[in-house]
Amino acid sequence: MSVVATTELTRRFGPVIALDRLTVELPAAGVIGLVGPNGSGKSTLIRILLGLIRPTAGSASVLGSSVHHPRDYATRVGVLIEGPAFIPALSARANLVSLAHLRHLSLDRVDAVLAQVGLVGRDREPVKRFSLGTKQRLGIAAALLSDPELLILDEPTNGLDPAGIVEIRELLRELGRNGRTVIVSSHQLSEIEAVCDHLVVIRFGELIFSGPMAEVMKRTREHIDIVAEHTADMGRLEAALAGGGWSVSAVGGVLRVAAGAARAADLNRAAAAAGITLSRLVVAQDNLEEIFLEMTGRVDGELANGRAATNGKVA
Amino acid sequence: MIAATRSELTRLRQPRLLLTWFGLMALFTLLVNTIMVTFVSGGGSLPPGAPGVAFPTLAEMESPSGLMSGLAAASNMFGIVTLSLWAVVTAGDYSSGLIRLLVAAEPRRWRLLAGKVVALVIVTAAATTVAAIVNVFAVMPAAGAAGISTAAWGTDLVSVVGSAWTNLFLALCVWGVLGLVIAVLARSAAVAISIGVGYVLVVESLVKMVKDAPADWLLGTTLGAVASGGTATVAYGTALALALGYVTLGLVLAGVVFVRRDVTD
Repeated sequence: MSVVATTELTRRFGPVIALDRLTVELPAAGVIGLVGPNGSGKSTLIRILLGLIRPTAGSASVLGSSVHHPRDYATRVGVLIEGPAFIPALSARANLVSLAHLRHLSLDRVDAVLAQVGLVGRDREPVKRFSLGTKQRLGIAAALLSDPELLILDEPTNGLDPAGIVEIRELLRELGRNGRTVIVSSHQLSEIEAVCDHLVVIRFGELIFSGPMAEVMKRTREHIDIVAEHTADMGRLEAALAGGGWSVSAVGGVLRVAAGAARAADLNRAAAAAGITLSRLVVAQDNLEEIFLEMTGRVDGELANGRAATNGKVA
Repeated sequence: MIAATRSELTRLRQPRLLLTWFGLMALFTLLVNTIMVTFVSGGGSLPPGAPGVAFPTLAEMESPSGLMSGLAAASNMFGIVTLSLWAVVTAGDYSSGLIRLLVAAEPRRWRLLAGKVVALVIVTAAATTVAAIVNVFAVMPAAGAAGISTAAWGTDLVSVVGSAWTNLFLALCVWGVLGLVIAVLARSAAVAISIGVGYVLVVESLVKMVKDAPADWLLGTTLGAVASGGTATVAYGTALALALGYVTLGLVLAGVVFVRRDVTD
């Protein structure tokens, strides 16, 4: 069974196509990563799923109910969308109580979620005193309030310190293991890679990839990062390797050669033949970020093709 | 809708918001009573179309209803305060992004809107009560000092206070709905307040100066008549019917826009 299913889902904002006939099914249970460059249509998709905006064409369902009837699933879905939104003058507890009233929930749930995100002891403080990370925890608490089957979290680790990121990562894993489905939209691909069981990549409103994370990681290839002993030799080294048929590119202060461990010795010999001594030679595996960039291109989605200030592509 | 009202009432328990609201009501009550008593005892009369206030005559001041005449005199000023606060609360949901959470939690948007209106009506009742209490304590010493006879003020006290409170409360609810409607349309408190204040202080005053203009139908005049329990030019029943029309029109407009428009903020 899928928790979210879309068929030819399209949303236009005037001449801009934010979602372009998107067809995708997201499996139940586990953590699902939703990634894409800026302006790819992630937020539009989430807004449609939550009933905040309506699709222009196509259909979509959440937990088996059409997005045209969000009241059928609203109590079963928890959300943190585009950052935590609260009344700054009210305490964390009062903000959650307000949402609990709206969802017809017992106030015991407020205590439960405050404990779950580690905010017990700070719950009487006004939200305006909270750091961004603490507000983010409160946002996750609000999303968990109805003990939902499906959680949709937009950038859940935004603003958290490293310890907080690890903590939320563990929380997401735990939530995904307990039969709940968690959809995480994030730009932090290391987080997605560390937490998600399933990945969905969209670009310009179109589906680029949807499948298990393990399948994505099969696409990874080895590469070799090398550094010349003398920085002044890096340009000459790159030219010599390229001339020798190696696929090489400068990444930061190193040269990245598309080759596996089996060719490390050959690479070292090629450098020596050019009269250059290597001070570093490291064989590494591509990570999700590299795969993502390969899938979506190395450009900001909103700025691509002169489309600054638009969201998606122009019809 | 009860759930949405409880939720909204919880969010309205912001000390600074309530202090501002009740404080402004108390301040304007004090201010208007002080000026009104000085003005009326001196035999002055306001020019036609004076914005925001309508003072009673000396005879009206000395009648049993004179005790509460400050509320009706300042009703449009209270109206602007109420319009502004309803607009701030409504537009605040958009500027904070809270509207996304609220609509996701309760997709039946009309319930959210109805809950907000009921909660704001409850707080408006409290604000009206603050103004009524401050009015009683402000007008008595001011009238005594100005030599205005207060001998009749104890007559039929419950009826006088009750009707003054009810009339002001009804007028303020209409002002509030106007603020809510503009805030839903503009999604901005600043725009809503600018339009509300600009309308009362500029547009309506200018229209009143134009001969043969239908001034009695204007919002401020109508709501002033509701707050006063009727005036020489607008009967109470007519004013109430007009006010009901304005509220119905406003709520239908706000409801349609709120329910149908995308939440993109």
